[in-house]
Amino acid sequence: MDMDVRRSISSVSVGNTLGPISIPVTLQRLVMEAGANRDFSLIHHDRDVARATGAPDAYMNTFFIAGMFERLLREWMGPRGRINKIVNLRMKVFNCVGDTAVFKGTVEGLDTTNNQVTVSLSSETDNGITVTADATVTLPNS
Amino acid sequence: MSKPSWGKYGTWEEAESYLGKVIGEDVGVDAVELGSIRRWLEPKEFDCALHTDRKAANDAGYRDVLAPSTMVFSYGLPSYWSPEDGHARIDDEPRQIPIPVIFDVPAPCTLSFASNIDMEFFEPMYIGDTITRTSRLADISHKELRVGKGAFMTQEDTYTNQNDEKVAVVLLTIFRFVPPERKEG
Repeated sequence: MDMDVRRSISSVSVGNTLGPISIPVTLQRLVMEAGANRDFSLIHHDRDVARATGAPDAYMNTFFIAGMFERLLREWMGPRGRINKIVNLRMKVFNCVGDTAVFKGTVEGLDTTNNQVTVSLSSETDNGITVTADATVTLPNS
Repeated sequence: MSKPSWGKYGTWEEAESYLGKVIGEDVGVDAVELGSIRRWLEPKEFDCALHTDRKAANDAGYRDVLAPSTMVFSYGLPSYWSPEDGHARIDDEPRQIPIPVIFDVPAPCTLSFASNIDMEFFEPMYIGDTITRTSRLADISHKELRVGKGAFMTQEDTYTNQNDEKVAVVLLTIFRFVPPERKEG
């Protein structure tokens, strides 16, 4: 990440876009993620168990998705922005092994009195939108 | 292959007796440290010096390297094994992640799905911090959906550091339900 990025409240407009950033969802990556975030639910790394519950394959867990949204926000804001909230995180379709998950966002609103920006977030695969969420971040004046 | 766990069975009266009460608390087994942060960043291809380099963190106004905000879930987790547990056997049930404590609340339901998550972040998590998660049953809203009759049950997880400063508050909503009975013929 470019640590020289200095996104300021005055430089942002409604409609600005974040990303996209993409990540290939491989079984190895899900295993690495499970080891790192310590959610060892079988549906996130055991393909047979995931399929037995009705999913097409093992799929990304909430922690992984929230972390990818954090990466998206951080790379856009730069080091001086702060993430206040990620809310309304809803999974609509699984991000499964074999998919490439693409994360992106759009600035939906500005509150210049307290330097806050609201952003809509999503991830999608070839199957369409898989996850949606909204975020609020604080940006510096300059 | 193990079956997924759908939670304790009981009555709605039993479930509602838990409203507002603490239904779970865990002290994170690992303090915030560089190795676990690096392993968390790796599968996300997330390169940010705030989370790896003290000078970069200082330059951005932080007193030390800080963990990513959404890593709070992981730092609030207890161990999956400790010596007093004894040794595992091959036919033991797989360990479940202990965060959805909604499943410890008895309810007349056999199935569930996660519906919504809200996260709000406060104090940064710095190297050396230890994180505690305290979960309360915040809401039960009865509803009949196409999948069945049940309720949206919300737990409020408050994450604090060793100084009792609030780090994050997470609302996790899960719909627990019973599917409609199939009509014969």
